[in-house]
Amino acid sequence: MKSKIITAIVALVIVALMGWGYYSTAQHRAHGHASELNPKETIFEHLGDAYGWEVPFNHSMRIPLPIIVWGQDGLHCFMSNRITGGETYDGFKISTSEEHHGKVVQVMEDGSEVRPWDFSITKNVAGLFIAALLVIWMVMALKRWYVRNGMKAPRGAKGFLELVVDFVYGDTVRPILGKHAPKYAPYLLTAFFFILTMNLLGLIVIFPGGANLTGNIAVTLVLALLTFLITTFSGTREYWKEIFWPEVPMALKCPVPMMQLIEVLGMFTKPLALMVRLFANMMSGHMVVLVLVLLIFIFTNLFGVGVGVGTSIFSVAFTLFMLLLDVLVSFIQAYVFTILSTIFISMALVEPHHNEA
Amino acid sequence: MELFTPEFGLVFWMFVAFLCLYVILAKWAWPFIIKSMEERADLIDKGVAYAQEAKSHLDNAKAEADKLIAQARNEQAEILREASKMRNELIENARGEAAVEAKKVSEAAQVSLEQSRKEAEKKLRAEVGDLALQIAEKVIRRNIASDDAQRALVDQYLSEVEAKN
Repeated sequence: MKSKIITAIVALVIVALMGWGYYSTAQHRAHGHASELNPKETIFEHLGDAYGWEVPFNHSMRIPLPIIVWGQDGLHCFMSNRITGGETYDGFKISTSEEHHGKVVQVMEDGSEVRPWDFSITKNVAGLFIAALLVIWMVMALKRWYVRNGMKAPRGAKGFLELVVDFVYGDTVRPILGKHAPKYAPYLLTAFFFILTMNLLGLIVIFPGGANLTGNIAVTLVLALLTFLITTFSGTREYWKEIFWPEVPMALKCPVPMMQLIEVLGMFTKPLALMVRLFANMMSGHMVVLVLVLLIFIFTNLFGVGVGVGTSIFSVAFTLFMLLLDVLVSFIQAYVFTILSTIFISMALVEPHHNEA
Repeated sequence: MELFTPEFGLVFWMFVAFLCLYVILAKWAWPFIIKSMEERADLIDKGVAYAQEAKSHLDNAKAEADKLIAQARNEQAEILREASKMRNELIENARGEAAVEAKKVSEAAQVSLEQSRKEAEKKLRAEVGDLALQIAEKVIRRNIASDDAQRALVDQYLSEVEAKN
């Protein structure tokens, strides 16, 4: 009974929001903002970063976020709502030029646009912070449980969290790294939970979520870079020896350092693959969903409302399927990143072989 | 392509956010969580081993208890047999003693009977003497006519006395 009432309320809210969305779109059109449907731009706008965070069913209102820029004349801080309307504030505006499209630029006296050092809390940065806080909250909740209840097994959500921790640490990190596991576990677990949270948050379309974080190459770049740094700095003598003097026929390594070249290249391709894999998987998932939704509008524009309605049924069904698939992919990619990082670290920790005989 | 060029600001903040997250969790959360989970896993393993041991102990204990009970039963039977034997012996002894005592009592009674008989005989004899003397007195006083008659008389009196006794 209670659940039925809740369902009814949710359905009503959704219908009301849809009506409101339709109304505001109509208003938007009526005010002469009639915009050509540009699928490519829409997709990249949604995949990319933004100053301010959009609110559902509204084209103009955004949650303002701080803009922090180090321009030619020092530090500037202001809220993003001063410039997201296209205005210029304090010499800064969001560029519409080809080169710096959608980014904050400083307008110089001669009218040229210069990109300042941009430390703005953009939508993605805010999303990162939200994800980080969520992870801290989740993990600390689990820790508090152990502090308070000692040996008792956690129940409910904490039990599930423990299951995931055990899956990552007990079934992956510990078997691969063995006695080194406790040293690297904090990094790997943090990476796993941070990636998973960012992945899942990206799938939620409204405010706390919706930022395409792990589908942004900057985020995966940092993660891959960290794995690379850890791998490189925990490399044993044997690891470096295998790179610069591998056990292969002399002809392959002495006059022309062919193997060395391949090995050194391998050092970099491994984290590069990590970076691209996570980025491409998450971005493509988002992109497919966006394209499926855009199909409705494309077909409506091309063939009229009737076809658009028909398309929307298929689109929504496929979008739902894709989003559910993305939930799975979110988990798999977070896990794959973690297990590959673990394997790369374990490869860096090699001990000399004892099979010389 | 904007998508493939990492934005400096985002890289910077990602680095900061990840490092903060790592420092906080690595310092206060993960080691503790891992330790707690491993401790609990150990505890559960130990608990299972302990329970198995306890179960085998329990099974053994049952067998042992059965053995003890059987032994106790045997002992009980033994004690009961002993007791009944002892009781019989006691009764036997008591009976024997009682017989000896009874014999003693009857012997004593016989002795005293004999004595009293002897005393009675003595008394009788004295009385008979007295009687004889009295008779003799009477005889003398009646001027005894004939010896035979007198003897018959004495005999008669004696018979009378004997019949009286």
